[in-house]
Amino acid sequence: MTYQFDWSVLWTGQSGEWLLQGILTTLGISTLAWLLAAALGTVSGALRTVPFAPLRALATCYVEFFRNVPLLVWMFFWYFAVPPLLPGPLQDWLFNHGAEFWAGMFALGVYHGARFSEMIRSGIQSIPKTQFEAALSTGLTTAQTYRFVIIPIALRLIIPPIANESLNLLKNSSVALTISVTELTFQTRQIETYTARAFEALTAGTVIYLALCLGIATLMTKIERRFALPGMIGRVASAEH
Amino acid sequence: MIEFQSVNKWYGSLHVLRGINLRIEKGEVVVVCGPSGSGKSTLIRCINRLEPIQSGEILIDGKRLSDPSLDLTALRAEIGFVFQQFNLYPHLSAMENIVLAPMKARKISRPEAEEIATRLLERVGIPDKAASYPANLSGGQQQRVAIARALAMQPKIMLFDEPTSALDPEMINEVLEVMSDLAGEGMTMAVVTHEMGFARRVAHRILFMDEGQIIEEGSPQTFFENPSSPRTKQFLSKILSH
Amino acid sequence: MKKMLTLLVAIALGAVTPAMAETTLEKIARTGVLTIGARTGSPPFAFVDAQNQWVGFSIDLVEQLILPTLSKKVGKPVKLEKKESTPPTRIPLLASNAVDLIAETMTDTRSRRDSVDFSLTFFVTGAQFLVKKGSPIKGIKSIAGRRVAAQQGSTNARIIREQAPKAQLREFPDQPAAFQALAQGQVDTYTNDGIQLAGLKAKAPNPRGWEIVGDFYSYEPYGMALRKGDADFRGVVNNGLMEGIDSGKFFDIYEKWFGPKGELPYPMSPDIKKFMIYQAVPK
Ligand SMILES: Nc1ncnc2c1ncn2[C@@H]1O[C@H](COP(=O)(O)OP(=O)(O)O)[C@@H](O)[C@H]1O
Ligand SMILES: [Mg+2]
Repeated sequence: MTYQFDWSVLWTGQSGEWLLQGILTTLGISTLAWLLAAALGTVSGALRTVPFAPLRALATCYVEFFRNVPLLVWMFFWYFAVPPLLPGPLQDWLFNHGAEFWAGMFALGVYHGARFSEMIRSGIQSIPKTQFEAALSTGLTTAQTYRFVIIPIALRLIIPPIANESLNLLKNSSVALTISVTELTFQTRQIETYTARAFEALTAGTVIYLALCLGIATLMTKIERRFALPGMIGRVASAEH
Repeated sequence: MIEFQSVNKWYGSLHVLRGINLRIEKGEVVVVCGPSGSGKSTLIRCINRLEPIQSGEILIDGKRLSDPSLDLTALRAEIGFVFQQFNLYPHLSAMENIVLAPMKARKISRPEAEEIATRLLERVGIPDKAASYPANLSGGQQQRVAIARALAMQPKIMLFDEPTSALDPEMINEVLEVMSDLAGEGMTMAVVTHEMGFARRVAHRILFMDEGQIIEEGSPQTFFENPSSPRTKQFLSKILSH
Repeated sequence: MKKMLTLLVAIALGAVTPAMAETTLEKIARTGVLTIGARTGSPPFAFVDAQNQWVGFSIDLVEQLILPTLSKKVGKPVKLEKKESTPPTRIPLLASNAVDLIAETMTDTRSRRDSVDFSLTFFVTGAQFLVKKGSPIKGIKSIAGRRVAAQQGSTNARIIREQAPKAQLREFPDQPAAFQALAQGQVDTYTNDGIQLAGLKAKAPNPRGWEIVGDFYSYEPYGMALRKGDADFRGVVNNGLMEGIDSGKFFDIYEKWFGPKGELPYPMSPDIKKFMIYQAVPK
């Protein structure tokens, strides 16, 4: 009755090809979503600290709205609710060209953008007010102050929590399989379907995710070392809620 | 050059500037002193509108700060401000700290801005620190970079808010020297400081503030030797006794 | 390395197989409980009804045919416990001893028999296509270039990939999402076992707007899955089913769910009835 492991299912047949394709899709969707999240998070996180109240309110709405609705719902939203708003031929074209990938990417990006936003906001708020004033009094505009002084400092302060959240993003990309994106988790299930070897397939998935996460963590540590502000790193390590 | 007309400022219910009237002429060096919490910082922070006022008027070069069409950014570019806590940009080298505003606000090319910065670093006595980051500079060196950063915009006015209060005693003089030189070159300056030696040597006029008002104002000689207000006397005896 | 991986998996999944463990029958004799895995949204096989009861054809088979035989075998009353299982989780649930029997719409295949055992076949269907009425899709021959939804982990997806490689396959983990994609035009058709499509169509807001098309392009005999090598337990399960077929109770239960007044009318063809009867070997 003991389960007999047969690891060869991972490289016989099409398994290897599927796993590779799964890794590429997972990395692709995660990378694009990360860029979107970083852009949205930086802009909205910065806007949440500006003196002009309507902009602050707008950014707060974005964050609260996107952060408090489950990712799965966002996946469905971008996949099912958004395309009907587009003109017919464009819809059809999208459905033939990986609509599910883009919907998943947007869902991941805006969801994690809202979470990045919170970190960036707390990073900015941990910068002393006089740092703004120093930049303003040299004749920089508010926008320039944010762009050249405040945001670069805030980003450096929040590298550790951002690294953490980036790993969450990678792991969360597997939710995209609910809208038929053929990412890594999907492919491990696929192998399971074909071989009926659930443990082997799941293990392969787990080990690959682990490797990807370790890779990202190492990269982030390198970035952190490279851009460290002496004596300031880790000050907002508790920024994540 | 700088004019306060019956300026009042409140923080909530706290009345921090009470009917301030003041003129600072071009090329004049004015030292502001007074006990802690008397409103000195607030006074000079109003000059480049880091703090808004609730009544009265402040004019810079005849321009009203309350004028809605005022280009605040351009105005601030002409007024250098040096803080107690230096406030250098920690992610940028000394050189980058200095060239940022000239390049972004004045649109000066990088080589030109670097040339200016190199000259300024020489002028404040740390030509070899261009590539250093703030964290690797001593307090005195950081404050001198901060002064160079302000000067890079070729301001008409320089404001100092206790520029030496955060420094170890052995570094105070290197900063004061730079400030003295600046005064000697005819810069219009308003300096909040407790360095009475500096005030005596460099100031054209000394203001004494207490509870949001200018209690006493005069040349260094009359201020130190013949103050009229008992509160000034009390303050001076405390500050000069050590 | 292999050992380490094995260990890792065992820990990760909490699936430590009891090396000198009792057989399933011994376990049931000890606990008095049979735990099955079933779907919650797969009418009429297993679903939560309007009264919030978890009911269905496959649950009735277990309750009315297998449970009595099992009680007799272990010599005491056996209680039924149900856990939700889905195509991706059913084999792990079984292997980790979380459930003893999968009473689902699970197709018995040779490759699945490498890792689990199956009971007798209790239902026969085959894959077809659900389309909007008037769709040009008529069967597996006309799906080249079309967007075809299928259920992840199903045999259908595999056959489509092999027999219609030009179709654009989109695999969804659950039926509602796949149907939604069909309703909204993300895909042109949804393929699944005919009986599943019939259920879906019956439940749809506008059943007449949908059509089930094409011949069975696959043979889908549903069996109940058990842990591999557990011959005694399998014998009891099969005896329960065979006695039900002999006594006619099996067909009564079929009628209850698939008869004209049942949850989903789907008459049993004479061929299949014969096949069922032939499965019950003599006493
Ligand atoms: N941002 C602020 N909000 C509220 N009160 C303030 C603020 N800044 C200063 N104050 C108060 O205003 C008064 C004057 O402060 P300040 O101008 O900093 O005095 P000084 O520089 O002479 O020590 C003090 O009582 C101080 O507590
Ligand atoms: Mg002060």
